[in-house]
Amino acid sequence: MIMDTQTKPEYRVIGTRPVRPDGVDKVTGRAVYGADVQLPRMAFGKILRSPFAHSRIRNIDTSKAEALPGVLAVMTSRDMPEASATMDLGEGGEQDMSHASANVMAHGKALYQGHAVAAVAATSPYIAEEALRLIDVGYEMLDPVMDVHAAMKPDAPLLHPALFTETAGEKAAQPSNVASHTILEEGNIEEGFAGAAVVVEREFDTATVHQGYIEPHAATAEWKADGQLTVWCSTQGTFAVRSQCAEILRHPVSQIKVVPTEIGGGFGGKISVYLEPVAAILSRKTGRPVQIVMDRADVLMGTGPTPGGHLIVKMGADRDGNLVAAQATLAYEAGAYPGSPVGAGATCIFAPYRIPNARVDGYDVVVNKPKSNAYRAPGATIAAFAAETVIDEMCEQLGMDPLEFRRKNSAQEGDKRIGGPPYARIGHLECVEAALASEHYRTPLEKEGPGGKRRGRGVASGYWGNWDGTSSCTGRLNPDGTVSLLEGSTDIGGSRASIAMQFAEAFGIDYEQVHPAVVDTDTVGYNDVTGGSRTTFGTGFAAIQLAERMQRDIAAHLAELWEVAPESVTVENGVYSADGQRATLAEAAKLLSSRGRHVAASITAKGQNKSGAFAVHIADVEVDPETGKVDVIRYTDVQDAGKAIHPSYVEGQMSGGVAQGIGWALNEEYVYDDAGALRNPTLLDYRMPTALDVPDIHNIIVEVPNPGHPYGVRGVGEVPIVPPPAAIANAIHDAVGVRLTDLPMSPSRVWKAIYAP
Amino acid sequence: MKTFEYDSPETLEETFSLLGPDGEGATRPLAGGTDLLTLMKADIVSPDRLVNLKRLGELPSGIKETGDGVTLGALTTLTEIERSPLLRRRCPALTEAASLAATPQLRNMATIGGNLLQRPRCWYYRNSLFHCWLKGGDDCPACDGQNQYHALFGGGPCYAVHPSDLAPALLALDAEVILKSRNGERRVSLSEFFALPEEGRRTETTIREGELVTALRIPPHPEGTRSTYLKAMDRKVWAFALVGVAAAVRLEGKRIEEVRLVLNGVAPVPWRVREAEGELIGSEVGGELFTHVSETALKGARPLEHNAYKIPLLKTLIRRALETLTETEVPSG
Repeated sequence: MIMDTQTKPEYRVIGTRPVRPDGVDKVTGRAVYGADVQLPRMAFGKILRSPFAHSRIRNIDTSKAEALPGVLAVMTSRDMPEASATMDLGEGGEQDMSHASANVMAHGKALYQGHAVAAVAATSPYIAEEALRLIDVGYEMLDPVMDVHAAMKPDAPLLHPALFTETAGEKAAQPSNVASHTILEEGNIEEGFAGAAVVVEREFDTATVHQGYIEPHAATAEWKADGQLTVWCSTQGTFAVRSQCAEILRHPVSQIKVVPTEIGGGFGGKISVYLEPVAAILSRKTGRPVQIVMDRADVLMGTGPTPGGHLIVKMGADRDGNLVAAQATLAYEAGAYPGSPVGAGATCIFAPYRIPNARVDGYDVVVNKPKSNAYRAPGATIAAFAAETVIDEMCEQLGMDPLEFRRKNSAQEGDKRIGGPPYARIGHLECVEAALASEHYRTPLEKEGPGGKRRGRGVASGYWGNWDGTSSCTGRLNPDGTVSLLEGSTDIGGSRASIAMQFAEAFGIDYEQVHPAVVDTDTVGYNDVTGGSRTTFGTGFAAIQLAERMQRDIAAHLAELWEVAPESVTVENGVYSADGQRATLAEAAKLLSSRGRHVAASITAKGQNKSGAFAVHIADVEVDPETGKVDVIRYTDVQDAGKAIHPSYVEGQMSGGVAQGIGWALNEEYVYDDAGALRNPTLLDYRMPTALDVPDIHNIIVEVPNPGHPYGVRGVGEVPIVPPPAAIANAIHDAVGVRLTDLPMSPSRVWKAIYAP
Repeated sequence: MKTFEYDSPETLEETFSLLGPDGEGATRPLAGGTDLLTLMKADIVSPDRLVNLKRLGELPSGIKETGDGVTLGALTTLTEIERSPLLRRRCPALTEAASLAATPQLRNMATIGGNLLQRPRCWYYRNSLFHCWLKGGDDCPACDGQNQYHALFGGGPCYAVHPSDLAPALLALDAEVILKSRNGERRVSLSEFFALPEEGRRTETTIREGELVTALRIPPHPEGTRSTYLKAMDRKVWAFALVGVAAAVRLEGKRIEEVRLVLNGVAPVPWRVREAEGELIGSEVGGELFTHVSETALKGARPLEHNAYKIPLLKTLIRRALETLTETEVPSG
């Protein structure tokens, strides 16, 4: 459902709901994913992973594995070149490539259970697996550090003896597990809290959770005798894979081609490389193409989940319910190497509100868990869980409706989020108003459920900054009047459709006349990753500019053929005319090709004018107080999309974010024992929600156009995962009167909160 | 997973010869494979040979009512049990248990014989990195590890819990197992079939080497016998029981004449609570009876560090199961 907030321009293609170009292949099982790649003489790789959370590798004896018939090569970090300095990864910020290299295969120390220590290539995956058992690794056990509480103790065992806390560019004198300390500040919080009538302060702990993409990582590499390396993989960014491989392998970027397969989900977890450099080295050693496919345990133990953390949030409001001060301390688990999304958490936590005095301290803390990675609005969900539940408690004390409180305190154009520039036109207030007006919020909830169950309703807001980045497109006019549109943004959520629609709108043709394809790194200009909710926004920008360029080129050719001045050719709705001459695009295409004139163009566009996304969610839950089981029974999510290019795919993003948020809220967690061994690396024991655990989700799209985009687009993919845990926690409080401060809110935690607080 | 040979015999005689005298440990019978293949892929068991049972025409198949109760062939799938109108009428606890087990895909493959023989879902047992007692090691890492899903009763040396939803229902229905080997047939009650693992037998059943489960028999129950199975899970489906309760009750008027109460997810085997049953038999439904009985049922529970939450959960489920079964009186006479 789309709420109209103001008068909109009329569009022909944008806002319609055509079928996606990749749809038929996907529903008929023809689409080629990472593990479907097959090459002649292909060998199969497997990776040996450390069973221990923290150890020093004393020696690795691979001789028995090498002697096994069918084994073609064995590799360890000895086969890897010394890694270079740092590299800009885009969404993930700057990455220390020595860490990235060591994460691909342990150099010296193995820093988490599941850390790769060796790999085998063999003629079959079964032989490769058998060979792993024949590799003898001598581990010297070290004490593991499993959470931020343990890692931040002064006498904690150190993961990296040369890691010194960096605060505003200054390095500490003593090494520590705290990689960095970020401080964001606005106004004066002491003065702010002094003027508060109501102050609420709470502490929170959250578990490590995984993105849970359905397709495990898979990579195939072929390193030819002339040094040309081709990599086929399931990734969010082919150019990111190319540059990481170049740095880790110390191989010229010009000799690496990355070919994207279809991708079965990423959510931020398919940006860093895990398998690609290993497959490449095994290919070089064997002289064959080598494919490595992870199983689910590999994915859960050996990729990049999103961190748990410890959060302290304190907020104050005056008697009228105006927010006067807010403070947060966020300590996020980076995993084995620095780089948690604590910085993003810090910028997002208070972003929906106008708060004159605020301070956030963020700590990036290394622990003996997999190196954390981006997960849909990285860092924002657990920050919102903390802040939005504190706000709910303030509303309770003030006796205010929680949506009225949000309306009163909503940030608007010109307000400033902590550490950020003033907002351009944003849509949080419109989302709050749409939530207030929704049928869901206006329908009172019957508090008594069947069998003694109790019902409750909760709301929460969320923010994600979105990203712009750089994108490229190449277009070719075909003689039949259609356009082949080459894109470099791998398509996770329907972006082939949303980019083709923007091209069609700008070019003045029908969506069906555009044939988009996602191509390899040799075939299209540079593209940043599909991440940060940027693709429909940023690659859309490139497609619009491409359409304008191609129109100009066609007009120039027509001017020559029609013998008129180029500027006299005008284009309207795909029809070219000048001085009484007239050609539809199809006529123009036929004419040009018959005269040996072919039109093709490429655009590389740096995205600009990105604008943040806001969401307001309403959750109804039913709690069984005798078992602690929570069921989400009704859910409405309101979100400002700027402009929904393809409303169905916007709704798909919204529902998907809510479903993942429900899992994060109620069930999902990495369970480690004291020795740092992961207890639940299967999808049976790591409990993502099933279809029955997710209610029918009612999506309300609010459109407050982003003034910086030709069609008003904001990113939509990430913000819907931000509010759910907070909204559900607030609903649980409404149902049974207890405040949950730890995630997940599993039945045992809820039961204990009710009966054994 | 280790490579293995695969045989698919068509006669029992051939099957027993493949299983070998005293059942060579490295040969395993294969039915639905939903547990065995998982164990093999995780390198928990590594047989040299699998013997497929699904082509054996001699094994009794399907669900049949005889004068002697209801017989279920060992290869009956959980889906067939879930959808059987006969079982739904006679033994609702069993169809309820089947419908709450696993997922539709797994239920299409999994057989009742294999369901009774499946190994625990303990995350130490299932992890090849741990050489726990049940796999021949020296001790149980769950005892003072992450034991939120582990045993309250019968723990030590193994603290895993039995994973089957159907086994407690079958125990509440007083079923027996029919076993065959080259030496002939024997019948054992389910309460003897399941036995706490011990030093010389690190499994949850008393099945002998070379024996196959060929069928189950549920005896006829007097008119008015009611049964149910309740299961607590972290999510709505596709989870082994946090705890479960199977109950069968026969009422006369408001008086309980007969009852069997079996707990699930609490011990290495399905756990019948006879003292609690004793309090129920002859009692009139009403007052605080079920609350008292649920206290009695959990009296001997010895929680570990992280699993005490199971105790109140079980008390709730016991009370709810008994309330459901006794909501309406059975006209006496």
